Amino acid sequence: MALFEVRGLTKRFLGVTAVDAVDVSIEAGELVSLIGPNGSGKTTLFNCVTGYLAPDAGRVLLHGRDVTGVAAHRIARLGVGRTFQLVSVFPRLSALENLLTFLQQHQEENVLARLVRAPRVRRYEAAAVERAMMLLDSVGLGARADAPAGSLSYGQRKLLSFAAALMPDPELVLLDEPAAAVNPTMINQMKEQIRGLHRQGKTVLLVEHNMDVVMDLSQRVIVLDHGQKIAEGRPEAVRRDPKVIEAYFGR
Amino acid sequence: MRALRWAIAAALLIAVPWIVAAAVPGQQRYVLHVLIFTVLYGALALSYDLVVGHVGSLSLAHPAFFGIGAYTAALFATEARWPFAAALAAGIAMAGLVALVMGVPMFRLTEHSFAMGTLGFALVTQIVATNWVDFTRGPLCVTGIPKPQLGSFRIATLPAFYWLGLATVGLVGLLYHGLTTFRLGRAFHAVRDNEMLASAASIDPLKYRMIAFVIGGAVAGGVGTLYVSYVGVLCPGELAVSLSVNLLVMLFLGGVGSLRGVLVGAAAFTALPEILRMAPTWRMVIYGLLLLIIVIRAPDGLEGVIRRRSARWRRPSSSGA
Amino acid sequence: MSDLLEQLVHGLTLGSLYAMVATGLALMFGVVRLVNFAHGEFYMLGGYAFWYAYAELGLPYPVAGLAAAAAMGVFGLAYERAVIRTILARTWHVQLIATLATSITLTNLAIIVFGTQPKEVPTTLSSAIADIGGVRMAWQRPLVLAAAVIIFAGLEWFVTRAKLGKAMRAMSQNREACAVVGVDVQHVALATFGISAALAGGAAALVSPLFNIFPDVGALLTLKAFAAVIVGGFGYVKGAIAAAFLIGLAESLAAGYISYAYKDAIAFVVMVLVLLVRPQGLFGRRIGI
Repeated sequence: MALFEVRGLTKRFLGVTAVDAVDVSIEAGELVSLIGPNGSGKTTLFNCVTGYLAPDAGRVLLHGRDVTGVAAHRIARLGVGRTFQLVSVFPRLSALENLLTFLQQHQEENVLARLVRAPRVRRYEAAAVERAMMLLDSVGLGARADAPAGSLSYGQRKLLSFAAALMPDPELVLLDEPAAAVNPTMINQMKEQIRGLHRQGKTVLLVEHNMDVVMDLSQRVIVLDHGQKIAEGRPEAVRRDPKVIEAYFGR
Repeated sequence: MRALRWAIAAALLIAVPWIVAAAVPGQQRYVLHVLIFTVLYGALALSYDLVVGHVGSLSLAHPAFFGIGAYTAALFATEARWPFAAALAAGIAMAGLVALVMGVPMFRLTEHSFAMGTLGFALVTQIVATNWVDFTRGPLCVTGIPKPQLGSFRIATLPAFYWLGLATVGLVGLLYHGLTTFRLGRAFHAVRDNEMLASAASIDPLKYRMIAFVIGGAVAGGVGTLYVSYVGVLCPGELAVSLSVNLLVMLFLGGVGSLRGVLVGAAAFTALPEILRMAPTWRMVIYGLLLLIIVIRAPDGLEGVIRRRSARWRRPSSSGA
Repeated sequence: MSDLLEQLVHGLTLGSLYAMVATGLALMFGVVRLVNFAHGEFYMLGGYAFWYAYAELGLPYPVAGLAAAAAMGVFGLAYERAVIRTILARTWHVQLIATLATSITLTNLAIIVFGTQPKEVPTTLSSAIADIGGVRMAWQRPLVLAAAVIIFAGLEWFVTRAKLGKAMRAMSQNREACAVVGVDVQHVALATFGISAALAGGAAALVSPLFNIFPDVGALLTLKAFAAVIVGGFGYVKGAIAAAFLIGLAESLAAGYISYAYKDAIAFVVMVLVLLVRPQGLFGRRIGI
């Protein structure tokens, strides 16, 4: 059974079909890229499968379980982490607090225990801080743990949102344009981070425009154009596919 | 050290009636009256700040919850002769219940529509209060609301009301503090500052908005109960939408989202016009202009100004964040 | 039967009023994405301006009406420069509170200047009773409807043919593109406010002879106009107009057949029902005015 499956997903806006009967199937541990020209429906697809948009047709399955139309916060709770195309952090919180926010819903603890700060609660909180610092260090933001997220640079916020998405240890990670608008050094750092996720056995789906990144990292590439899937396969094969070339350069 | 400062502040606040009697012997009834209003408004403003300042929902429905609590308690006390504690519980419960019922459809609206929806709800509540004369007495007002009786204590003197109000704002402040720190506070703030990201962090925006809205509404109902047992009379005009404007002024003047800021704002709002002896209409003109200027120029209010000043004090060599 | 017809006539009058006010609100939201909580005060001040021109200065009715509309047009321009321009880039919270604050200020200033007693401004047409199809009504009422229709037709011509109007429509559809192709965004925003305010002022001149002018009249009007804008599809002017007539008719019928006292609640009920059942408005989400 595939970890993550999309069957016949369709989404329309104001007469335009943004996503047209798309099928995607991802096995556990795969690293897959979703590419396509601007406006091909990649981010819309992301938003439909993570619960931010309700699809007009089709199904989304996680571990074979139908999660179509389930609200975003519940899908996140099921072990799906994501980043956003427009880098998104909690600006008034510190970097550390940003990460802690991502873990708190996974630490179910009844109100009474929390009120009296039972030893178990304190241990959980210490563990959370430890994990957060570990993640911050791994993206190079350890020194800025207490800085307000709003004061970080664009690249730093990008790394922060990446670390935050990993905080609850999701098994499926969806990254929306991780290499966009950052300098080459940062791109390499991102690639290393993504490879790291793959080595840990996580399943990764990325939307990306940067072809070097896509070719370098992906085991499999899916191509969308005008909302439809037009190609799928190993990176080298997709790159030579005439339909893909036409979608990007034709017309 | 902090505990000592709190203890001194508490002692001073409790001693106020005697301080006032000593300082302004001829005016003490008037001053105490103003202070009673100040503490009640402080509690009301804190309950409103939970919704506006901490979860970021610009609700204009607060006057309705204040009024629903007031009317529920007033009618139970006058018609059914319920004792004060029971009437208070009924006021809080009714306001909270209506908040729960109204909150569900309201929060399906976004942004402007939410504000307008809550405004409409407040207007309709006032219309109902004015016109359902059989039940609420309409413009004839509910009169003869008894003074609170807590066991063998009858709260009938001004100092007694002041202490009751002080205890209320103290309790509400504690509740406010508890709700806005730790994990619950983080969840509130996540929803306020970036709702999409909060969802990605498994935080259910609707759940937390409802929590703030219902608790805020219930507390407003409680304050409404105390208010009418002090004033003794309840007219539909108390539910006027302008109460929302007053509350917004308090919040923005003092500092949205900050306990100290909101209390300062409430005190400034209630005490200032009394000091300036302004006519009600001129007062509202000034408030309107004040709110306009503050929200544009200094949306953090006094609290923001203080924080910026003290930040400059504490870090003379800027560490360049 | 004539009772029902009278209610319908009244509903059409209310609808015309709400439509004219809602159009201004929809224009402002459509073009600059701002909700003006002080919009009802444009109507209120327009009403006082009309009263002053007609009752105090003794100007003939058409002149007084146009003067009121023009005065509000100027006021709208001033309001845009003084208040709106500073909050256009801010969050909707700031915009809401700022315009709400303005509304309170204007209302209370009106109480100070004009007093709380309503002003009655009867005109020849509001006193003369017509008998149309067996229904008795003041001549002012068909005038209101006719004027509204003419104004809406004029507005439609404006946004399709006139340069400024086309710019307004373009800006409501794609603001970034407009800035790129050289549309003076500030200028268009300014004009939008002037037009919206003038519409409200004109509405006041038309309707004040039938309903009185008092300082608080703006508050409920803003709510009902907003309800129309939401039901019509947020920024879609024709939708707002249709929704406004729907609300006006519903209110009139409710007042006549259900309860006069609760008639003002109708607009709110309609709005909440539509929002829950069809959040994109009756006519669906459209881009542009």
